[in-house]
Amino acid sequence: MAGKKLLEVTVLAQDPHVDIDGYTASAKVDLTWESMGRGPVGHRVHVIDYDATTSTLYGPTDLEASIDRPFAAADLADPAFHARNVFALVMHTLGRFEAALGRRVDWAFRAQQLKVVPHAFGVANAFYSRETESILFGYFSRDASTPGKAKASRVFTCLSHDVVVHETTHALLDGLRPGFMAPSSPDQAAFHEGFADLVALLSTFTLGDVVGRLLDLNRAPLPGEVRRPPSGPLIRSSDVTAANLKNSVLLAVADRFVAPLGGAAPGALRRSVLIDWRSANLDDPENDEPHARAEILVAAVMNAFVEVWSTRLEGLGSRTLEELPRERVAEEGVEIARQLLNMVIRAIDYTPPIHLTFSDFLTAVLTADIEVRPDDSRYGLRAALKTWCGRYGIRPVRGAGGCWSKPKQTELVLDGTNFTELRHDPAEMFRLIWNNRDDLNLNASAYTHVSSIRPCVRVGPEDGQIVHETVTECLQYVSIRAADLPSMGLRAPRGVDPELIVALQGGSTLILDEYGRLKYEISNRLPRPGAAEGTKEQVRVARMQQRLDYLARTGYLDRPHAATMRIADLHRRRWTAVGIRPDDRQEAW
Amino acid sequence: MATRPIAARVRAYNVGFGDCLLLTFRYGSSHDRNVLFDFGSTKMPLQGGPPSMLAVAEQIAKDCKGKIDVLVVSHRHADHVSGFAGKPGEVIATLNPSLVLQPWTEDPELATTADEPAALARAAVPDEHAGKKGFAAELDVMHDIAEQVLRAAATAPQNHGMKPVLEQLAFLGETNIKNHDAVVALQEMGEDHQYASFGTELGLDRLLPGVRVDVLGPPTVKQAPEIRSYATNDENYWSKALRGLSTSALAATSATPSRGKPKPIFPDASMTTVADGPQEARWLIPQVERMQAEEMLALVRDLDKVMNNTSLILTFQVEKDILLFPGDAQLENWSYALRDAPGAAAISARLATTRLYKVGHHGSLNATPKVLLWERFTRKRANPKQAGRLISVMSTAPDKHGHVDDSTEVPRRTLLAELDHSSNLVDTETLGLGDGDEPGTFWRDTAWITF
Repeated sequence: MAGKKLLEVTVLAQDPHVDIDGYTASAKVDLTWESMGRGPVGHRVHVIDYDATTSTLYGPTDLEASIDRPFAAADLADPAFHARNVFALVMHTLGRFEAALGRRVDWAFRAQQLKVVPHAFGVANAFYSRETESILFGYFSRDASTPGKAKASRVFTCLSHDVVVHETTHALLDGLRPGFMAPSSPDQAAFHEGFADLVALLSTFTLGDVVGRLLDLNRAPLPGEVRRPPSGPLIRSSDVTAANLKNSVLLAVADRFVAPLGGAAPGALRRSVLIDWRSANLDDPENDEPHARAEILVAAVMNAFVEVWSTRLEGLGSRTLEELPRERVAEEGVEIARQLLNMVIRAIDYTPPIHLTFSDFLTAVLTADIEVRPDDSRYGLRAALKTWCGRYGIRPVRGAGGCWSKPKQTELVLDGTNFTELRHDPAEMFRLIWNNRDDLNLNASAYTHVSSIRPCVRVGPEDGQIVHETVTECLQYVSIRAADLPSMGLRAPRGVDPELIVALQGGSTLILDEYGRLKYEISNRLPRPGAAEGTKEQVRVARMQQRLDYLARTGYLDRPHAATMRIADLHRRRWTAVGIRPDDRQEAW
Repeated sequence: MATRPIAARVRAYNVGFGDCLLLTFRYGSSHDRNVLFDFGSTKMPLQGGPPSMLAVAEQIAKDCKGKIDVLVVSHRHADHVSGFAGKPGEVIATLNPSLVLQPWTEDPELATTADEPAALARAAVPDEHAGKKGFAAELDVMHDIAEQVLRAAATAPQNHGMKPVLEQLAFLGETNIKNHDAVVALQEMGEDHQYASFGTELGLDRLLPGVRVDVLGPPTVKQAPEIRSYATNDENYWSKALRGLSTSALAATSATPSRGKPKPIFPDASMTTVADGPQEARWLIPQVERMQAEEMLALVRDLDKVMNNTSLILTFQVEKDILLFPGDAQLENWSYALRDAPGAAAISARLATTRLYKVGHHGSLNATPKVLLWERFTRKRANPKQAGRLISVMSTAPDKHGHVDDSTEVPRRTLLAELDHSSNLVDTETLGLGDGDEPGTFWRDTAWITF
């Protein structure tokens, strides 16, 4: 394989367990060549096929067997294909992130390789685990009693494109922002799920000609219905209205726990885009539950996507012509989805390192995009996002166009700083931060830590403009007795032991341009009390107080060891609703 | 006989991790009426305990002078019903309870035939009876899951890192398997049976004159869908979860019921040994095994909670004094009575004056709602000598359920501290710790409450 720049690998494009009239959507993805071993194993991912339920270690496989080779039905029962499929999708997703961010992306753990276990156990769950440096995919039995199903068979979560991309996104986001796993607010608790769903949905559109083939299949079949197979160069305009696009299999995250288990009604797939904004209220305590809140974020973004796509199709004549060229319809969707995918991925670099809110994320999306794509006139994506997010109660912070404000002081003191070292050496970056701590409004007595430095090169999608940036995250910690919180302008939440040691965390993302000037300071840093009413510091104090109250209410304030969110639990809760509502945690001892 | 009791007392038998309490109402100098709550254990006490459950049964027979008026079986968990099977159960049966009171989920009328659960699940708009049957069927599935979990715990690698998880799995599995013999024994004993839900009128005036008995839980599925905890998303969650434990596991264990792992799911695929596999596999494999065990533990914890939420919550009121017995009810069960039911505010106000509280679920973190219930008790007092102080009764044993590392230990230390601080706590845990108990005594009594 050496000498080949790109490898064309066959993968599954949709969950094969979702019955689309017997049609299994496959696609080819391009992976950058690397020297691989049997596993497959490459420099970032290692597939180890161990099944804990049966204590079986399956032999490794070569990725080569899936290169330049079409999908065959027999692959669904071949564990070697499962291993290759999951390797390729993880690498493809990693590649999307690195292309959007303009740099390499680290995992959240020290090892270089993410372990992927395609048949980890006979349990209906799949999850990323920072602790085990892995993504574990479960399997379970299909419902044998469903009419039409001749015999019981297994459902493998590792074969679902959406599940694999969703879990990989958790791993990548954790590498970019480890602080997002800590409890902070309902928004932060929900963000991982919402973001992972968004990437999974939009990633389907990056899989070659799959979109064109699946466009016709805009709803799950009714019992006994036989639909016309996807074919022909034309598609009915009525099939691609905004309403029908929302019902497309393309806009549903395959719910591996419901849809394949028989008896699932059409629409049992997780279809956040259909959540009505009029009834989705982020202030409703029912929506404090992470998965419910996550779906609101997804609904907002995907409705913006559908609106932009529909508008483009109107330009093709969707309102006046009975049929449209299938390929053109698909191309529009693919291009818009690619833009949007890049926008949401790039936005992560423009979020604070900790204490994220949906508002922060939206602001980050708008800011990151305007930096590389100043002209939004072609698709109006930023405008659509602002509108639809606003409908769902997500508004950007108050800055020009909904973007982060430029800092007042852009010229940092660079004396004694080696600019070359600054782009990769945390000690050098800390020197810069220390020398500018007053202008950066940092708490000089807090424990301060440069958690990452990431030089990146982003390319504007429309004009090829190249943007060089250095993104660094700086975290601060203060441990303080609850009784002493008033010294920071805060109060101990009701019922908290005055002797409890409370850990306050804050952080800033600093984005420097190619000359070392400060472009943005995106901060949820520790407050500095004593400021006058109505100032930004007072706002910070109020937000920190809200976080403290939330942590106390949810029982995390005195249980720091339970702090890191477990994706496994989140996924299990998502489809069972077993668990305590966030406010009910106040009832627990 | 007097028309109302003049006093009442609770005797808590030390059955280790389990419940067995005798509530005695005294009518005049020598006339008592007795209510027995539960009779089960999943771990007998290491100290201060009876030699056996049979010994407990014989003591109960002595204490109630050969007659139980009301037998309350709060819910079906082993630590509440195991004693009704076998010889101990035979002794209880000779006490011929006038009434056996259980939650509605235990009504034998709700038993389903093999194909009914699926049909119930497919019903477009199930009526209340169908809804009850469906839920009862799911409870049976939960027992199957518990059996699976027990088998899995027995065959899992017993390495050091797995030990705490496997112990929990085994404990919860054992607690949640079906106690068939106990179920049958309960159905056959006693003069009358009632199966109650929130608001059921029990009509116990004849059996307990002058005592108002109210049923505050469990709600039916129609009253409170969240009692199932999963109803918002999936009608058949537990059936699917059972399938989620892999048919290969079922097939293998039915062939080799007590030993061996399930067969590989790809029997024709190339396999290798850990020794011949990649180095990383040696580190990863124990992690995956532990994750599997934790997944099963999470599943069985959820299942355990649903079962606990089928508990009867009963109040016995004489004049203004309320004696509160909630079994192992968790927040979802409590929520209906205290937040969502018609008249919830009035119920909440009544419970504020509770005189005696049987601590829910052995003192766990989720069974004594802090704000909805505990903080509203008006008889909490810091001064132990103060008249009318709240009495709390707890039957528990440490180191069996939950873990201090994730603040889920039972009994929960924060709750225990509060009970000790604000009430006259009667705790079976402390029996045998050398604080003045008579030798051979394996029970603790509350003080007599005079009315």
